[in-house]
Amino acid sequence: MSDRPGPSRMHRRTFLQASAKAAGAAAGAAALGFPAVLRAQVPTFKVGAVHPITGPLAEPGQACRLGAQMAADAINSAGGIKSLNGMKIDLILGDTQTKPDVGRTEAERVINQGAQMLMGSFDSGTTQAMVPVAQQRRVPFLVDIAAADPITANVAKAVKEGQQKTQYVYRNFPTGSSFGKKAVQYFTEVFQEAKVSPKRVVLMYCNDLFGQNNAKGFQAAHAAAKPSWDIVEVIPWPEPPQDLSTEVSRAKAARPDIIAPITRPASAQLLLPEIRKQRLDIMGIVGPGSPGLYEAGQLATLKEDLEYVMSSLPWANFKNPRTQKVAEDYQKRSGGKTFDTNSGYSYDGILLIADILERAKSTDPDAIVEAIHKTNWSGGLMQYAGPVTFNELGDNPNAVTTMIQILGGKPVAVWPREAAVQKFVFPRPKA
Amino acid sequence: MAPGGRGPEVRVPASQGVSRLDAALIAQSLLSGLLFGGVYSLMAVGLTLIFGVMRVVNFAHGDMMVWGMYLAWLLATRAGIDPYVGFVGCAAALFGLGYLIQRALVDRVVEAPHEMQILLMLGVALVLENSALVAFGPDPQRVRSPLRAATVWLGPVFVDVARLVTFVLAMLLTLALYLFLTRTDLGRTMRAAADNLYGARVIGADVGRVYAVAFGIGAACVGAAGALVSPILPFQPAGGLGLSVASFNIVIIGGMGSLPGAFLGGLLVSVAESLGAVFLSPSMKELVSFSLLIVILLFRPAGLFGRAAT
Amino acid sequence: MRWLALVALVVLLALPAWLNSYAITVFIFIFFYAFLGQAWNIVGGYAGQLSAGHAAFVGIGAYASAVLSAQAGLTPWLGMLVGGVLSAGLGTLVGYLGFRFGLRGFYFVLLTVAFAEVCRIVALNTDAVGGALGYYITFTGNPRQFQFQDNRAYYYIALGLMLVATAVVAAIERRRFGAYLIAIREDEQACEALGVNTFRYKMLAMVVSSFLTGVGGTFYAFYLFSLQPNSVFGIPLSVEIVIRPIVGGAGTVLGPILGSFILSPLAEASRVYFGQGGWAGAHLVAYGLLLIAVVLFLPQGAYPALRRLWLRTAAR
Repeated sequence: MSDRPGPSRMHRRTFLQASAKAAGAAAGAAALGFPAVLRAQVPTFKVGAVHPITGPLAEPGQACRLGAQMAADAINSAGGIKSLNGMKIDLILGDTQTKPDVGRTEAERVINQGAQMLMGSFDSGTTQAMVPVAQQRRVPFLVDIAAADPITANVAKAVKEGQQKTQYVYRNFPTGSSFGKKAVQYFTEVFQEAKVSPKRVVLMYCNDLFGQNNAKGFQAAHAAAKPSWDIVEVIPWPEPPQDLSTEVSRAKAARPDIIAPITRPASAQLLLPEIRKQRLDIMGIVGPGSPGLYEAGQLATLKEDLEYVMSSLPWANFKNPRTQKVAEDYQKRSGGKTFDTNSGYSYDGILLIADILERAKSTDPDAIVEAIHKTNWSGGLMQYAGPVTFNELGDNPNAVTTMIQILGGKPVAVWPREAAVQKFVFPRPKA
Repeated sequence: MAPGGRGPEVRVPASQGVSRLDAALIAQSLLSGLLFGGVYSLMAVGLTLIFGVMRVVNFAHGDMMVWGMYLAWLLATRAGIDPYVGFVGCAAALFGLGYLIQRALVDRVVEAPHEMQILLMLGVALVLENSALVAFGPDPQRVRSPLRAATVWLGPVFVDVARLVTFVLAMLLTLALYLFLTRTDLGRTMRAAADNLYGARVIGADVGRVYAVAFGIGAACVGAAGALVSPILPFQPAGGLGLSVASFNIVIIGGMGSLPGAFLGGLLVSVAESLGAVFLSPSMKELVSFSLLIVILLFRPAGLFGRAAT
Repeated sequence: MRWLALVALVVLLALPAWLNSYAITVFIFIFFYAFLGQAWNIVGGYAGQLSAGHAAFVGIGAYASAVLSAQAGLTPWLGMLVGGVLSAGLGTLVGYLGFRFGLRGFYFVLLTVAFAEVCRIVALNTDAVGGALGYYITFTGNPRQFQFQDNRAYYYIALGLMLVATAVVAAIERRRFGAYLIAIREDEQACEALGVNTFRYKMLAMVVSSFLTGVGGTFYAFYLFSLQPNSVFGIPLSVEIVIRPIVGGAGTVLGPILGSFILSPLAEASRVYFGQGGWAGAHLVAYGLLLIAVVLFLPQGAYPALRRLWLRTAAR
């Protein structure tokens, strides 16, 4: 476009530019300030519950949100936080879209709308992006689900080195390293209890954040524990995969006794039928812990391919009658889904927050952090190795996994003994 | 110590690797790769047709395919129609969608700068992906078909029957399309419009209609592809992008606008990835197809079977 | 006169005094994506070489400065330059391969996508940079480590980045370099026929563009503290970089800024207002429809359309 703008045209053009910018700024500011004004002044304690509601992790994210909502409803209908005059818990919901920049923005948004604590956010990458917000704004952040060790460890280190005054980020979920240790321990114990000695384990995993983290933790724990069984082959695949036939052929060539898969729902739907099709002669499929091997949707699609599959997962304590009731409720409200790791830990997260508030007797962030340090709570629905406490890194050392197995088309806890609801079946019966 | 880090250092023992001399494994991966190539080919055929005729890059390709898969799933679960029969319905539905998209949207930007076409199809992709999310939820699904479990063993290697059927159907579909383009009037007009738009107009071809039909047929192929692979591939709304990228790879390597190119390109890419999964780490197998893509782009951008002039 | 642009600038500089932290965050992303879009604008808008792989440069800049900071204690204030240089290195490679081998239009697009994907897959499989787990940067709030306790500091840095990139683009547009780029975009063969060294100018555009984008990568790293290969090298980020200039007007100085001011608040608003009620995903449908509407009704981008409108009303 050939223009020769004279001085007056330049004036108008720059005016246009300037006003576009200013208008955008003003409109933006107005639109963003608005919700805060609209929100009525009701004395509730606001928790920002931020999870991936859309995007590739939408399925677990939506489960987390529902679990949190159900827990908040339960607390409120039981009278709210008694030490704060029956103050109710109000959830401000956020959607991270599974993106770190959106996660950060959502954290800021819910805090702007009055959130006094944060909870979230399932995937470690996005959770990590929310950590600086918690530290900058002094908002205690309870990580309900996210396994990457650095999320809390980095903050603890910064506090130790004096770069940050207080740690505001705490986690009630097994860390990546604890996943691995427990898995190796359970593998060995189960083999011993079943009185068999498989030697060759082939580890197959989805090459995404969770899969890699878990696989590395598993291998490291194995190297440290030196059990009688070996990991003879490690096969990662790009997630989500379109085809796993070559990967399974490769596993078969390693003559495995056990296949140890770390999957996501989509890859599990490919992997398990492939294992059957290629007629792998194995004692069993025992996973170090991953989604995809127990959900109601997976069971409906994979049916008998999932039978006898074991997986070492954070799991709900179904021996607790409260858990049963909540699980039934959850099934109704979610349209048939299982009360599992995701919904469960988010549920417990809100219960835990309620306990922390009861003891803090205040909504001041530092008082809340004080109360967090003193936590010794046994009111959760998930399977723990002891009461919930927080160590010097901000993690709960008693958050552990449980070995579950699909028996009769249902996932049940089978190991350790104190958690077991049924006896495990291992080796799996010959087809 | 400076801040940051990746958490505790983890010493990862190296994988013991696969004996390269394991002939059965290599033979199996070649066979699996070849059969799965049928799936890839099916995906690519629709894309290459649209580009070949209209020079429009359909960035919503993967998401259309996902819709084809969901439609097949609906037919299978609500009406009990097996996808190997129902794919015709999916093709028809997507033909309609493609025709509509072309007439209403793409037609308006055929003359516009490239970026606008890309943006338009990206917008369409977003709408398709997220309406699928709203309609069907985020869980991955798979269509159950009686062929799922069928395998035929030839000694130490096996043939996955479902994939074999898809392979055969991909071949037949490509053949049918080829015949359409070469033997029918409409097909010939399409090719004329592709080769020489001005000339086609001069001889009175209704280019608008030709384009719309071309887009419709391309979309129909994608719909059929989606239906036919729905028993094989788990699908979820977020999966469209990955399918689009994979399809672009195949089409470029095979040759944009070339039907045999799309078919053979699909086989080639699948076999290459399969061998990559055997000799490298399987998580790097996509590296193989991207490297192949870069090489083709540099040294033979028309693709292995495409026409030399762009 | 320039004083009105100055007024806009003063408004933006003063805004943090009135805005809450959430609004500041939204503005930070507006400025940051405008910056990235502006950097892209040089090679994609002015030179007309569409790159859909600019995320690769963001990623390289981000990982480089993050790793250097954590392993070698190099302050990111310097690390960002290293990151920029490394990104420029990749840009040189991609540009060389693309332009030497005569790749145009869609083929060049695909080349850039392929390189970005290769970077992503390599990062996913490289333990030294965290692999799929990603790289986690410790938040210390120490300005020497390019971190700040106060969100407002990031606001000014992002604003500064956006202004620097805009100044660069404005300078390019004014000079002969810019004229060459536009000519190359409009008709490359004519340029070559006239003896213009199109290869050299395209390469220069690519190098400048990738350098700036790499510097932006450092901001990304030390604002989000979380580097995931799929996020920082992924196609969705490349798309975010590209749509702002295209919607705002590719090849104009203000296009990327205008585009960012349109798209970011809209994405934000549609997520906040649609995403709440269990219609998960509806807001992205709205976003997609918006993109389609922009293409159909404002095919040259918002800025040229606005300008035409203004000129028409001004002419009365």
